[in-house]
Amino acid sequence: MSKRDTIVAICLLIVLLLVPRVLGGTYVLDLGVLTFLFISQAIAWNLLGGYAGQISFGYASFFGIGAYATGYLWLHGWEPLLTLPVGALLAAVFSLIVGLPAFRLTGAYFVIATLAVGLAMRVVALNTEAVTGGASGLNLPTQVPGKEWFYHAMLILMCGCFLISAAVRSSRFGMALTALRLDQAAAESLGINVALYKNLAHTLGAVLVAIGGGIYAVYFQYIHPDQVFGFEISIGMVLMPVIGGLGTLWGPVLGGTLYYAIQDTLLTVFPFAHLLVYGLLLMVIMIVEPRGLLGMARLIKLPRLAKRGRLAEGTSTEPA
Amino acid sequence: MGAILTAGLYAVMSYGLALIYGVMKLINLSHAGTMMFGAFITLTLNRAFHLDPVLGSLIVLPLFFGFGMALYATIVRRIARSAPIVSLLLLFGLWLVLQNVAYLIWGNEDQSIVTAYTYSTIKIGFLSLAVTRVIVFAAGLAALAVLAWFISRTYTGKAVRAVSLNYEAARLAGINVERIAALSFGLGTGLAAFAGSLLTLLFSFTPDFGGLFQTKAFCVIVLGGLTSFVGVAIGSLLLALVESFGVLFMRASLQNLIAFGLLFVALVFMPGGLMSLVKARRA
Repeated sequence: MSKRDTIVAICLLIVLLLVPRVLGGTYVLDLGVLTFLFISQAIAWNLLGGYAGQISFGYASFFGIGAYATGYLWLHGWEPLLTLPVGALLAAVFSLIVGLPAFRLTGAYFVIATLAVGLAMRVVALNTEAVTGGASGLNLPTQVPGKEWFYHAMLILMCGCFLISAAVRSSRFGMALTALRLDQAAAESLGINVALYKNLAHTLGAVLVAIGGGIYAVYFQYIHPDQVFGFEISIGMVLMPVIGGLGTLWGPVLGGTLYYAIQDTLLTVFPFAHLLVYGLLLMVIMIVEPRGLLGMARLIKLPRLAKRGRLAEGTSTEPA
Repeated sequence: MGAILTAGLYAVMSYGLALIYGVMKLINLSHAGTMMFGAFITLTLNRAFHLDPVLGSLIVLPLFFGFGMALYATIVRRIARSAPIVSLLLLFGLWLVLQNVAYLIWGNEDQSIVTAYTYSTIKIGFLSLAVTRVIVFAAGLAALAVLAWFISRTYTGKAVRAVSLNYEAARLAGINVERIAALSFGLGTGLAAFAGSLLTLLFSFTPDFGGLFQTKAFCVIVLGGLTSFVGVAIGSLLLALVESFGVLFMRASLQNLIAFGLLFVALVFMPGGLMSLVKARRA
């Protein structure tokens, strides 16, 4: 993280910590909980999808695994917080089961394979009533902490994801991911273990998403396969980083915020229009600037900066 | 026998996808959206003019051929040469847009078309078959026969095959590759909508409709080796057979899992399709 990034991040954190104390109110807390959840998912997805350029439409399976691990164990007398590591572990195992064979594929083939896995997991969850409650879902205990607790829990999760993302980005690991995104054959020829790094990024993302799924289950006290394994969850995780800026540190944060803001404002007025907006946004971004809104912002600033001979770092990287 | 009828349906659904992939190496994630839109246009024609879905499909096909060409000229052309992920996400965005335009026009309810023959059956020998399934099969087969003739016998069809085999070489040979790409994108889109309108005879549908069929179509073309005409037929037959036998061993609600599982396995272990297994053994 550059010095500027650190300052911006700390300022944002202070504001977010003050919000419940200054504004309060259920609406603001709800908004915070869900926005932080979406942003943390976006950051987690961006590790593989952005840094390594491997687009996966199957991340809902990790979210669902996290949510159901927490739900199931909680119903069997576990303390909800202690179930989070279990969900994370299960998601990590599952990510390897999928990743080890699937990372033999590249480009569009990998995307289609993850699509199949994501869709399959929902069918499996709907048909394993003993664990998931099947089509009737799972009702969970109702004794939960107040909304402020969830606000801070999700805030911690989001900050954790952000710090991990920042650490990965500037590490050897992150550079390996960037290298294999730009040219897999060249990366391999330099001795980078492509399969290992892809699986690491995949598993790390899966763990973070599963923890979010677990907290989500406790927050809503009801989970259903169509909801936590739903295709919408996977779509969301693809859209947020892409809208914000694929493979950047702040892109998923910006994308996640916008994503939930659009959904929150449009869902009540036009129930289906939010997906229309996302779809159009996605098309425009792909045609104009595949690096998302951050890329567009750079595009505008670039000539001026270039003239001053201060080319912003990272602008020379290819779009994924 | 039922499996063969299903296979005919799968073949119609999949060929559009295979054609676009073959010529442009582009995975059309908006295939499902086009199928769904075709189904809804057929529904509207049926409501307004009591038009039979089979006739409706004949109107839908040229309509969406034009739509596909227009789409190519305005949008797809710009990204056809960029990274696969860009085109994939763009077409995925298009799917979302189509889906939600359909929501806004036709709403969220389950729709279906009931014709005079929806519930009747015919007997062939000792088999009794639903008329609708036979019609879908026949219409699909007819469409594929016309296409097979077009691809193998006409000059333009040969150009399409040449471009699928080698884009650069086809261009050097003086083929207008841009025009062929536009043509195949239009044809692929038209076929998807055609398949969608035939599906209205068999299934009820909502704007979400198509996702499952799209996945099955992916499964078919991957099994069939992605581009070849024969491959699509073999892939369809295999998927339909595995599905109909699978039901004997598992719950009906798990049936769709077969297509997802088969797709994953086929992608990972035989990316060249079934044909590659045959070739590998020969070698």
